Amino acid sequence: MTATQTSSAPRRAAARAAARRADRAAWLLLVPALVAYGSFVIYPLATGIQYSFYDWNGIGVATWVGLENYVQVLMNPDLLGAIRNSFVLIAFFTLIPVGTGLVLATLIRTMRDGFALRASQTVLFLPQIIPLAAAGIAWSWMYAQTGAVNQILSTLGLGFLTRPWLADYGTALPAVGLIGSWVLTGLCTVLLLTGIGKIDTSLYEAIRLDGAGWFREFFTITLPGLRQELAVLVTLTVIAALSTFDIIYTSTQGGPGRATLVPGLLIFRIGFTQSDVGLASAFGIVMMVLVLALVLPIQRLSRIGDR
Amino acid sequence: MRLHTSRRGHSRAVVGAAVAFAMLGLAGCAPGAAAPEESDGVAVSTELTDEEVVLTIADETGFPVTDALTEEFTRQYPNVTFEITRDTFQNLTANAPRLLAGENPPDLIRLPTIGDTVKDGLLANLDPYYDAYGWDAWPASQLSPLRMTEEGVRGSGSLYQLGLGYSVTGVYMNLALAESLGIEEPPATIAEMEEMMEAAKAAGILPIMAGDSDGVVNFVVQALMNQYADQDEFLSWMFNEPGATYATEGNIQGAEKVREWADAGYFPSDINAIDYFTFVTRFSEGEGLFTFNGNWAAAGYQEALGDDVTFFLAPPANEGDRFIAMGAANSFSVAAGSDNLNEIVFFLNWIHTNPEARQIIVDITGASPGGDPSLPLPTVEPGSLIEKALEMSAQIGEDNGQVDFMANTTAGIYAGSIIPESQLLVTSQITGREFVERVQAFYEQEIGG
Amino acid sequence: MITSRTEVVLGRLLLLVAVVLTLIPLVNMLSAALQPADRNPIGLSWPTDPQWINFVTAFEVGNVWRLMGSSAFIVICVVPVALIIATLAGYALGGLQVRGGRIILMVFVLGLTIPFESLIIPLYYQAQALGTLNTQWAVIFPLIGLFMPFSVFWMRAHFVNVPRELSEAARVDGATLWQEFFRIQLPLALPSLSALTILLFIWTWNQFLLPVVLIADPLDRTVAGALTFFQGQYYLSIPLLNAGALIIIVPAITVFLIFQRQFIRALLQGAVKG
Repeated sequence: MTATQTSSAPRRAAARAAARRADRAAWLLLVPALVAYGSFVIYPLATGIQYSFYDWNGIGVATWVGLENYVQVLMNPDLLGAIRNSFVLIAFFTLIPVGTGLVLATLIRTMRDGFALRASQTVLFLPQIIPLAAAGIAWSWMYAQTGAVNQILSTLGLGFLTRPWLADYGTALPAVGLIGSWVLTGLCTVLLLTGIGKIDTSLYEAIRLDGAGWFREFFTITLPGLRQELAVLVTLTVIAALSTFDIIYTSTQGGPGRATLVPGLLIFRIGFTQSDVGLASAFGIVMMVLVLALVLPIQRLSRIGDR
Repeated sequence: MRLHTSRRGHSRAVVGAAVAFAMLGLAGCAPGAAAPEESDGVAVSTELTDEEVVLTIADETGFPVTDALTEEFTRQYPNVTFEITRDTFQNLTANAPRLLAGENPPDLIRLPTIGDTVKDGLLANLDPYYDAYGWDAWPASQLSPLRMTEEGVRGSGSLYQLGLGYSVTGVYMNLALAESLGIEEPPATIAEMEEMMEAAKAAGILPIMAGDSDGVVNFVVQALMNQYADQDEFLSWMFNEPGATYATEGNIQGAEKVREWADAGYFPSDINAIDYFTFVTRFSEGEGLFTFNGNWAAAGYQEALGDDVTFFLAPPANEGDRFIAMGAANSFSVAAGSDNLNEIVFFLNWIHTNPEARQIIVDITGASPGGDPSLPLPTVEPGSLIEKALEMSAQIGEDNGQVDFMANTTAGIYAGSIIPESQLLVTSQITGREFVERVQAFYEQEIGG
Repeated sequence: MITSRTEVVLGRLLLLVAVVLTLIPLVNMLSAALQPADRNPIGLSWPTDPQWINFVTAFEVGNVWRLMGSSAFIVICVVPVALIIATLAGYALGGLQVRGGRIILMVFVLGLTIPFESLIIPLYYQAQALGTLNTQWAVIFPLIGLFMPFSVFWMRAHFVNVPRELSEAARVDGATLWQEFFRIQLPLALPSLSALTILLFIWTWNQFLLPVVLIADPLDRTVAGALTFFQGQYYLSIPLLNAGALIIIVPAITVFLIFQRQFIRALLQGAVKG
C-alpha cells in the first residue's frame, strides 16, 4: 500500500515533466507560423490602426488627427456609398449562390454518381479556379454593347432590353454582382450537395411515407442538416462580397458615376493615388470591423444550433 | 471625448482605449518623417561621361517614344544603355511618389502630376541645368507648367520637369461624312459646330465619337470650358494657387454646353462603356463626324482614314477670338535620388536639341519637339495630319493659348471626381453647374486634407 | 427511395442551365480571342477563320514567359514554406493539443475574416521599410503570413481527427516526437497536404491586389496581377486581351483538372470540418 503510494508520485511527476517537455516542443512547432502571422498580419494590422489616427501623405511628416479620419469615413457620402454598394453585393455574392445551390442540390441529391454529375461538378467549379481579375475581363466583354448578353437577348426577341450593362446606372451594380454569383454558385452547389449526401436517407424515406411534400421535407430535414455547410458558405461569400477589388478594378473602375464604387477600390485610390494614408487606413479598419460584425453572429448562430 | 462613467465596464474600456492611444503617441513613432536621401554633391556638368552607365526610366504602357529615343541615344553614345519599365498610366501615377521615395528610384519617370513630390523633396531641381545648358532660349510658356514653387504652387518657381514632346489637342473631322452633309470647312465657332452636329444627327450620323469609361470625354468638356473661361483664372486653379476656384461662370457655361449636347444625343448612347481604345477604333472605322483628341492620335487616324480626315483647333465661342487649347508636355521628372543626374539631364537636353531625336518625337508622337524655336523643325509629309498638328502647336504658341489638362490639377481629382462626375454629366444625370461644383468640392477636400 | 418525377426532371434541367451559364463566359473568351486582332468582335460567334496566331501574339506582346517565370518563382517561395510551417503548427494545435492552443487557434481563425484590402496600406509601407518593395519578396513574405490562418486551421482540422491511439502506440514503441511525426503523422496527412498545396498554388497564382500594389513593374508580378498591364495596353485589341487572359488562366485550370478529384473532395471536407 505504502509502496504503491510512494512509487506513483514520482511516476506522476515524471509524466508531468514529459508533458511539459512535449508542450515545450509543441510550442516550438508553433513558432514559425506565429512569426509569419505576427509579422505580416498582426503587425500590419497594428500599424494600420496607428496610421488611421494620423494625417500622412506616405512620405512627409505625419500629424496626429485623432479620430478625424474615422469621422470622415462615416460622414463622406462617397465612402458611405461604397459601403452601401458592398451591402447590395452581398445579395449577389451570398443570397443568389447559396439559394441557387440549395435548390439545385436538393433537386439533384438523388442523381447517380456517374459521368454527368462529375463532369457537371468540374464545370461548376471552374470559376473558382480562374483569377477574379480575369472574370472581370471576361464579363466586361459579355456585358458590352456588342457583347454576348445583348446578342442573346436580341435572339430571344428581347432586343428592347439591350444596353451597355456595365455603363447603365440601373444595371451596373447588379451586373457586377452577377459576376460574383457566377463565381460562387458552383462552389455552393457542390458543397451543399456533399452536405446533403451526409444526411441519413432514412429520414427522407420516413418523411415521404408520412406524406410530406418537397417543401416540408426541405424545411424539416434538408435545411437543418445543412446548418454547418450553410454557415461556412455564408461566411465565405460575405467576405468575398465585401472585398471585391479584383472584379471592380478590371471591369468598371467604380463607374458609371459612383454606381459600383466599393471600399477596396476606394482604399486603393485614397491611399495610393491621393496619398491620404491615414484616411485609407481608417477605411480599411472600418471595413474589417464590418466583416467581423457580419460574420461573427453567423458563426455563433450555427454553433448554438449544434447544442 | 466625453466619458460616460455611469457604467463601469464601459468606462474601463474607454480608459483602456485611451491608454492604448497614449502608448501609440508616447512611442513617438509618427509614421514616415524620414527625409529621402539627396544625391547632391555631384557637380553639374553638361559633358557626357565616357563610363558605362545604365539609366532607368519608368514610363506608361503604350508610349513607345521612349523606346525609339533611347535606342537612338545608345546608337550615338554606346556607353549609355537604358532599362525601361512600363505600367498603365493609372498604376504609374498611383505608384510614382513611392517609386521616387524608394531605395532605387528610376532616374527618369513619367509624372503627369507633380503633387506633393516637390514638397517631399523627391524631384531633382533642374534650375542649375537650366542655366548651364541655356534653356532660357526655350519658350517660357512651354516650361512654366513644369515649374513649382516651394509652397507647392505650379506655374512658377524652380523647374522640375521637361517634356518628351509637347502635345496639342483639337478636333478631328471625318471628311467623307462631312461631304455627305455638305460641310466644306471646319467650323469657325462653337455655334457653327453645333449646326453641323444638328445636321449630322438629323442624317443619322453620330455627331461626336467619344468615350467616358475612362474619362476621356473630358477632352470635350475642357475644350468647351476653355472657350468660355478666363484662361488665367482656369490656369491658376490647375496650378493650385491659394483661393483659386473651378466654380467660375465660364467653366459652368462650358459644362452646361456639354449637358446640352448630351441632351441632344450628340454622344454615343453607350458612352460610359466606351474607353479610349474603343472610341479611337470606332472613329478610325468611320463612325462619328467629330472626335476630340490630341496630336498623338494623328498618325493612327491618318493611316485608317487616309485623306478623309482633318485636324483643327477647337473653335472659339465667337469668330475671331484667339484659340485656346489643352496642351501639355509629356512630362518627365528626374528623381532627386538619381545617381546619374548629369547623364539623365544630358539625355533630356539631347531630346530637345538633337535633330534625330526631334524627328523621332514628331514621327512617333506627332507632338512638337519643343526646345529652342530657332532650331529647324523636323520634316513631315506635306498635307499630313502631323503637319497640321505642328501648325496648330505654332498657332497656340502665337496666341499664347495653351492651357494644361484639368485632369492634372491634383493627383486624385481625375479618378476621384472628374471621371465619375463627367460620366453623370454626359448622360444627363447632373447639370453643368452641379458638375463644376462637385469637382470644386472634391478639390477643396483634397487640397485642404 | 421515393422521389417525384418532376423533381428529377426539374433538377437535371436546372443543372444543365447552371452548367451552360458557367461555360458561356469562358467560351465567349475563346471565341473573342480567335477573331481577327485588329477588329472589335461582336457577341458570341465562332469565327469563320480562327486566328490561333492571336495566342502567339498575345504571348509575345505580354511577355508571358517572363510573367510565368515570375509567378512560378513566387509560387515556389510561398507554397512550400507555408505548407511546412502550417503543418508544424497544425500538428502542435491538433495532434499535440498544446496548452493554450484554443486561444492560439482563435487568433488564427480571426485572421480568416481580415480582408486583404484592410492590410494593403500598411503592407506597402512595411515592404518599403524592409527594402523588399518592387521585388517579388514584397508579395512572398506577406502571402505566407496571410495564408497562415487558413492553412493552420486546415492542418489542425486534419491532425485533430487522427486517432490518439496511433501516437500513443508509437510512443510506447519508444519513438521520439520527431520520429513519430515523420513516420506516422506525415504520411497520414498527405491527402490534406496535397489539397492544401493545390489551394495555395491557385490562390498565389491568382493573387491580384498584392502584386498590383507592391510590385511596380508588371513583369515582376504574378500573371493575374499583370492582367491590368494587358488591359492597359490600349493598342491591344479585345481579341488579344482575351487571348492573353486565357493564356494566364490555363495553368491554373490544368492543375485543377489533373487534381480535381482530390481537390474537390478535400476542399469539401476541409470547409466543413471546422
